[in-house]
Amino acid sequence: MNAPANIETRQLLNGNHAVAWGVRLAKPDVTPVYPITPQTPILEKLIEFQSEGKFAAELLTPESEHSAMAACIAASATGARVFTATSSQGLLLMHELLHFAAGARAPIVMFNVNRTPASPWGFWPDQIDSLSQRDTGWVQLYSESPQDSLDTVIQAFRIAEGSMLPVMINHDAFYVSHSVEPVSVPAPGLIDEFLPRVERPMQLDTGAGQSLGAPIGQASWNRTRREMAAAMETVPGLTEAAASGWRAMTGRGGGVLEAYRMTGAEVVVLTMGSMAGTARDAVDRLRDEGIAAGLLKLRLFRPFPADELRAALAGVPCTIVLDRNYSPGMGGVLHQEAKAALYGTVGAPRMHGLLAGVGGVNVDVATIARLVRDYRNADPSPDAVWVE
Amino acid sequence: MLEIVILGRGGQGAQTAGNQLAQAFFDSGLYVQTFSTYGGARRGTPVTSSLRVDADPIRLRCNITAADAMLCFDASLMDDAFYAQGSDEALIVVNSARPAEAFTPRARQRVLPVDGRAIAARNDMGKVVNSALLGAFAATLGRPGIDILAQVIETSAPAKKSQNVTAAREAYGLMAPVAEEATA
Repeated sequence: MNAPANIETRQLLNGNHAVAWGVRLAKPDVTPVYPITPQTPILEKLIEFQSEGKFAAELLTPESEHSAMAACIAASATGARVFTATSSQGLLLMHELLHFAAGARAPIVMFNVNRTPASPWGFWPDQIDSLSQRDTGWVQLYSESPQDSLDTVIQAFRIAEGSMLPVMINHDAFYVSHSVEPVSVPAPGLIDEFLPRVERPMQLDTGAGQSLGAPIGQASWNRTRREMAAAMETVPGLTEAAASGWRAMTGRGGGVLEAYRMTGAEVVVLTMGSMAGTARDAVDRLRDEGIAAGLLKLRLFRPFPADELRAALAGVPCTIVLDRNYSPGMGGVLHQEAKAALYGTVGAPRMHGLLAGVGGVNVDVATIARLVRDYRNADPSPDAVWVE
Repeated sequence: MLEIVILGRGGQGAQTAGNQLAQAFFDSGLYVQTFSTYGGARRGTPVTSSLRVDADPIRLRCNITAADAMLCFDASLMDDAFYAQGSDEALIVVNSARPAEAFTPRARQRVLPVDGRAIAARNDMGKVVNSALLGAFAATLGRPGIDILAQVIETSAPAKKSQNVTAAREAYGLMAPVAEEATA
């Protein structure tokens, strides 16, 4: 379902250009971006918008991703609305400053295109680049489609500015970033109303003597993390509120989790990102065969929505986690997190962790359907299994 | 759902062709999804453009492994792996001056060569073959309509708009009777 045509227009856009449209509508003040495959079309489109006079942000192109993030933090500290985008190696080069941005409580919104990190060199969809940044204090959301990416990047500013935490949205290389599809683009007036400017608790100003992030004692540093924990606790509620506001306006989109055919489901596929799209067709095929399958798409990964997951999976006999990422020496990251969230809870499902599509290996409908048939009655195993 | 694979070499316009074909189907009122994969964008390396067309929204996020139709910009790319991407009944249009008998598809696949280079040259397009190949491909599929396709080419071609359109129309006209015979 989509909003009436008079408030949205439908265009053919790839996932990266859909992101750029979302950013244009969100009207950031400063956008420091360094190009990298397969993120570059986001930057290219923003530059095109600017050349047409449709995007007024100060667009900086520093000499590296590290400097881009430094510029983001400084700009955000002055109260500016800030956006940046990167991928894989670029995100990893930012690592030091990701911690810094979160500690400085800079509500930056960043779009990351999930791509295999080197070595060896590759350009394939795999989420380990962003998942390996999970402890930096950034909120993380995962998008399934170009439409989801446009919708989520706008909602992300509400979440960031409501929690004073930086937000990273992720979509998979090629399957989403370079996938050209019909995308509904909201009218600008709608977004101005959806994203009002928020007064910041602290804004650096050359006219007023203040410092941010200066050396402090142990107890004060400790308190900053307790404050971040409290802010993280507000994020699921902010995510749901942003999503329900978006649904009221456009008729689209899920919140923290998105359930698909979960009614009476006896086996549930739990995944995130583009894999969720293919899994929808697999669930339909399994239901046609008489297998009561369902899908749970995790949209918010950090903070990990443990309460919501426990509620959604209570009483479900079996859950199959599909991870397009691999943490060497441990397994799939979503599997590990989901297991930890459900451990010791009453009615927790049997859980299988399957490494499916690591390195961008193709995972199609037939494969997912086969995995569900193979594992739905299998004994649980605590360890991840390589399947594709 | 109609699934299409377009294969070319970086710089030949396979990705542009995929986007133009998607736009033409979209303008015909259908849902489309097209994406390209390449191992780093370098001129000359193989580039695959994949296209899905359906009456319903498309949710799949995976490769096409049994294409209904394929368009190949360069016959030197037609190895066993290429044919394996098509369904057993795939229709394959290839840019080549050679006869259909020169190709070795598998199962019940059919290869329809079109001399895109000659059509391009006749229409003042030099070696730029993508509009000619798109016209031939649309004729082979029986869709999208040539007028919708010509409109998309006219809107999106960066230069020589009228030459691009006449090349597409000429190839469509040449291929339509051949395709009708081959698919009868």
